[in-house]
Amino acid sequence: MTILATSNKAPEDPQVHRVLLGKQQILVSEDEPLLPQLERAGVTIEYQCREGYCSSCAIKLLWGKVEYPVEPLAWIHSGAMLACCAIVKSDIEIGFF
Amino acid sequence: MSYSTFNRKKFDSLQEPMFFGENVNVARYDQQKHPIFEKLIEKQLSFFWRPEEVDLSNDRKDFLKLEVHEQHIFLSNLKYQTLLDSVQGRSPNVALLPIVSLPELETWIETWSFSETIHSRSYTHIIRNIVNDPTKVFDDIIVNDEIAKRAISVSKYYDDLIELVNLYNTLGLGVHHVPERGDVTVSMHSLKKALYLTVASVNVLEAIRFYVSFACSFAFAERTLMEGNAKIIKLIARDEALHLNGTQHMMNLMALGRDDPEMAKIAEECKDDVINIFVEAAQQEKDWAKYLFKDGSMIGLNAQILGQYVEYITNVRMQAVGLEAQFETKNNPIPWINAWLVSDNVQVAPQEAEITSYLVGQIDNDLDGADFDDFGDL
Ligand code: FES
Ligand SMILES: [Fe+2]
Ligand SMILES: [Fe+2]
Repeated sequence: MTILATSNKAPEDPQVHRVLLGKQQILVSEDEPLLPQLERAGVTIEYQCREGYCSSCAIKLLWGKVEYPVEPLAWIHSGAMLACCAIVKSDIEIGFF
Repeated sequence: MSYSTFNRKKFDSLQEPMFFGENVNVARYDQQKHPIFEKLIEKQLSFFWRPEEVDLSNDRKDFLKLEVHEQHIFLSNLKYQTLLDSVQGRSPNVALLPIVSLPELETWIETWSFSETIHSRSYTHIIRNIVNDPTKVFDDIIVNDEIAKRAISVSKYYDDLIELVNLYNTLGLGVHHVPERGDVTVSMHSLKKALYLTVASVNVLEAIRFYVSFACSFAFAERTLMEGNAKIIKLIARDEALHLNGTQHMMNLMALGRDDPEMAKIAEECKDDVINIFVEAAQQEKDWAKYLFKDGSMIGLNAQILGQYVEYITNVRMQAVGLEAQFETKNNPIPWINAWLVSDNVQVAPQEAEITSYLVGQIDNDLDGADFDDFGDL
């Protein structure tokens, strides 16, 4: 199942990436962080500050590349990512703790 | 070694561990071993707020309309929060300042503890505004069994550390006989262990213990009741999210050997104890939820749902310090709470109706509609 979380971009756009979550595949853009895009696709993720300092939105990043436009204050464990402030930069696979 | 308020030694503070190295001398931030702590200071300062900015006159009316068992829920939570912030307003200073070795961390500890004193003052602001006799509410904190039980758990690790550090600073390392207490071993190992357990227990205090109370405050506000209170709780929750970041960093830096290599061994050794601190606190919070709802639940919340939330949030917090989740609950049973906990819609701005005063002075809120006529069809 593929859900398009980006509003007006086509899957072949280089700025659009696949996010694998279990059996789901969600297309996201580089225009905004992962969290709001997952929410629009109907995926519930824990959050609190949405600003990178509370670590509530930490999820597993199994493979792939994400970037943080501003370095978040929260600790990021290896193999994890902060959904609220990470920009997806390649196809990625994520999971919950 | 006794504490010195201005260590005369010349040393490179970049080589010092967070704790139990040299006492800090120059409060300088031009070079930092762990810059995260200065970032936390800046963020905390940007969050500055004053309880008096939030008007609670509607809360008074709401409180009188609440059912008796709802008043019990509301006041009990405030009492418990008052206890927690009484501890937090002093203990980071008393326990950690004598042993801290980095200027940026020293200042973070002071900034952190200062923000807790704002929380304490906000409870007086709330209680004064909703009941006729605040004395009764505050006096009960010390005699109420349910709160007293929790007071022991939240202060125990701090007190153990403070005792050991006092002995260390006056008598040095060794086995010391303490009247009414027996022989106490003061070693770098026992000191560092007491420190690690204290940081873990403070993380639990700020990252888990407040949340039952937060949930109740926001559940009232979902029914448009006690909204001034909810506004204050939002500001407190925003501060607490920073505080838990601080203790998470301390724990992770220690456990991953990125600070004092010996702390990494101690963290490993204390792992089961730390897991127990989390699990026990979760149990106490679930018991607290039962006590709150003993005479009746409130719309949208009951002891069972709150218990699941405690388990859920405990899992989230454990994972943040690299520990395995201990509870089965995988989903947030009250996802609506996050919309209240999010920081971007916390606005303390003078134009808001509920706010009667502002930092720079009184604002006249009683402008007549006619005063705006000049603005035309806005
Ligand atoms: S929601 Fe707080 S760090 Fe992402
Ligand atoms: Fe606090
Ligand atoms: Fe706090």
